Amino acid sequence: MTTVTEKISQSGQAAEAQPEDYFTHVAGVGYIPRDIYKYVKSNPLGDLPRYSAHIVIQHILVFTTFIVLAATGIPLHYSDLFWAPYVLSLFGGIDTAQVIHRSAAFVMIGASVYHLVTIAGSTIRKIAKKEFDIRRTQVPLPKDLFDLLNDLKYFLGLAPYRPKMEKFMYKQKLHYLAILWGTVVLISAGMALLYPEYVALLWPFDPSFVQDLARIMHADEAIMALIVVAFWHLSNVHLVPGRFPAQWTVFTGRITREHQLEEHFLEYIRNLSEIPEEREYMRSLLSELGYAEEEGDPK
Amino acid sequence: MKRRYLLMTLILFAALGSGLTGFSSATAADKENCLMCHKYPSMGRVGEDGLVKNYHVDAHVFLNSLHGEVGCRECHTYIKKFPHDPVTEEVNCANECHIKPPFAENNFSHQKIIDVFHTSEHAKKTDDSPLMKDAKPDCKYCHLNPLYKRVDEKNIAYGKTLDRCLNCHEKKGVTVAYRHMTHRLRHKTSRSSKEIVALCSENCHGNAPLMKKLGVSGRALEVVETYKESIHGKMTTLGSEKAADCISCHSSSLIHDIYKKDNPNSSIYEKNLLSTCRNCHAKINEHFVKIAVHPSIAVPHNPILFIISNMLLRFILYGTIFGLMGLLFLETYRRKKDGIGMKIKAGSSWRMPEKMGTMKKSVQKEPR
Repeated sequence: MTTVTEKISQSGQAAEAQPEDYFTHVAGVGYIPRDIYKYVKSNPLGDLPRYSAHIVIQHILVFTTFIVLAATGIPLHYSDLFWAPYVLSLFGGIDTAQVIHRSAAFVMIGASVYHLVTIAGSTIRKIAKKEFDIRRTQVPLPKDLFDLLNDLKYFLGLAPYRPKMEKFMYKQKLHYLAILWGTVVLISAGMALLYPEYVALLWPFDPSFVQDLARIMHADEAIMALIVVAFWHLSNVHLVPGRFPAQWTVFTGRITREHQLEEHFLEYIRNLSEIPEEREYMRSLLSELGYAEEEGDPK
Repeated sequence: MKRRYLLMTLILFAALGSGLTGFSSATAADKENCLMCHKYPSMGRVGEDGLVKNYHVDAHVFLNSLHGEVGCRECHTYIKKFPHDPVTEEVNCANECHIKPPFAENNFSHQKIIDVFHTSEHAKKTDDSPLMKDAKPDCKYCHLNPLYKRVDEKNIAYGKTLDRCLNCHEKKGVTVAYRHMTHRLRHKTSRSSKEIVALCSENCHGNAPLMKKLGVSGRALEVVETYKESIHGKMTTLGSEKAADCISCHSSSLIHDIYKKDNPNSSIYEKNLLSTCRNCHAKINEHFVKIAVHPSIAVPHNPILFIISNMLLRFILYGTIFGLMGLLFLETYRRKKDGIGMKIKAGSSWRMPEKMGTMKKSVQKEPR
């Protein structure tokens, strides 16, 4: 126990690490140290499954339509700025851009529905097969809050290692919830703008207020989504160290081993029982390091 | 002799050339030969106000314009002798000109539409202040003497329709008449929406100090601002041909009948709104017309939306962006410090502190 603490203090980790947090025992594989991700070998195209083909297709649909929607919508919002007509001229002027914006919007709505169907279908299938585990889903749980706090501790140098997180860590859950909320707002506000006559029938008391609210919410939510995607999401997945210049998960649906171990440790532990090759790899690595479970070891 | 032939050939070619470019018809319409002097591009003088005035008439442009068939003196009636006196009078668009439209008994005149204009809000009234009289537009403020513009809307088959006319009519007359007509066959006016908004706003309705002097108050002072905030305004600013401009709503097909909204003749009178909006929005109902066409989220009009837009959403936006970016930078700083390299690599992105084998020596297996 002392050697672990020594090692940690030698490598500049100020805080104490408990060995039971540091090692994760997996029966038949061995004792996996928390910072094993620094020592594994990864293929940049991805080693472990993360997204199904459906999710990859949905993501491609959503980000292409998102770019088109932003490029045709943002110049309309900032119509009085000098660059607005130039951007719209790429789409054949405002009248054509309007048609393109609406068509892209319906494709995006279609992708959203497709996503909901996929999620609902696979959830039902998993429940039927009794494989469903809420910890592997995007549903926010109290653990995510603690993960965020513990991760902040790590960022500030108060903890030696990152917390052990699930397939979807707090960042993904935050972003997913934001997209869920944003999509609902953008679709409903967009529909209110596209079909003002029906919205006026639905809310005949003050249709003007509804229209203005829709106008403001649609633009504001879009700008927020654009800024978050352009600055935060893109940096997070492609520009930060270890991911630069591009993470290929977006097309391959697979995640690198080091990334899975660093940010989705608990999912990796599940991968070990699901993927025999991965189990073999980890076992040989651990035996090289001296952490492998010895044959016939009762522990 | 040879030189004379050369000269004649040159003249012949010049005549042919000018005939091809339309100069022959040019001189034909100018019966009184006003172009003898007015054809010179530098013709002009310095006026009493010190500004240089140019009296040049480009025959090629004028004679292909809407009024190309009208003689000069049919509008400039005050010119009685040659050479004429300095011009002090304006042209009067209500003049009868000596052109008889087909199947009409009387000579053509703009009198009918001028009568409509005189009933509208823009007509000069006897009890108007001199300032107000000055500010009100005349015909020429909006109507220049435009060249015929061929309509390029897809639903007009220009060539095919013209061919049918040519079954009976002579080509020249039909072409002119056809252009004259299709010029007006578009959904809106031949001026673009952007031009219409500019005409209405630049010198007058968008000029708040002038409007205040003329006794305009309240939301009428902000009409241009609020219009540009609306979807119609934004589309028009970007050059849309479909979005409603000022006269799409404020006048009927007479174009000139612009009244205040409490006048029952006005297209924006409460009871006329439904039919006015129906010009573009087919499936509307009585609640639709309550939607503000000149929306404003300023505090006196719409405090709730002002708070939502300028405070709540701003706060959420900046909070989210700076919060997330702060988290990102903090995370990147710590991971770099912890030994991660920049690039994603085959192998490992981490700069391993020691070789893998040495980890075994220093860190002992500590099972629970």
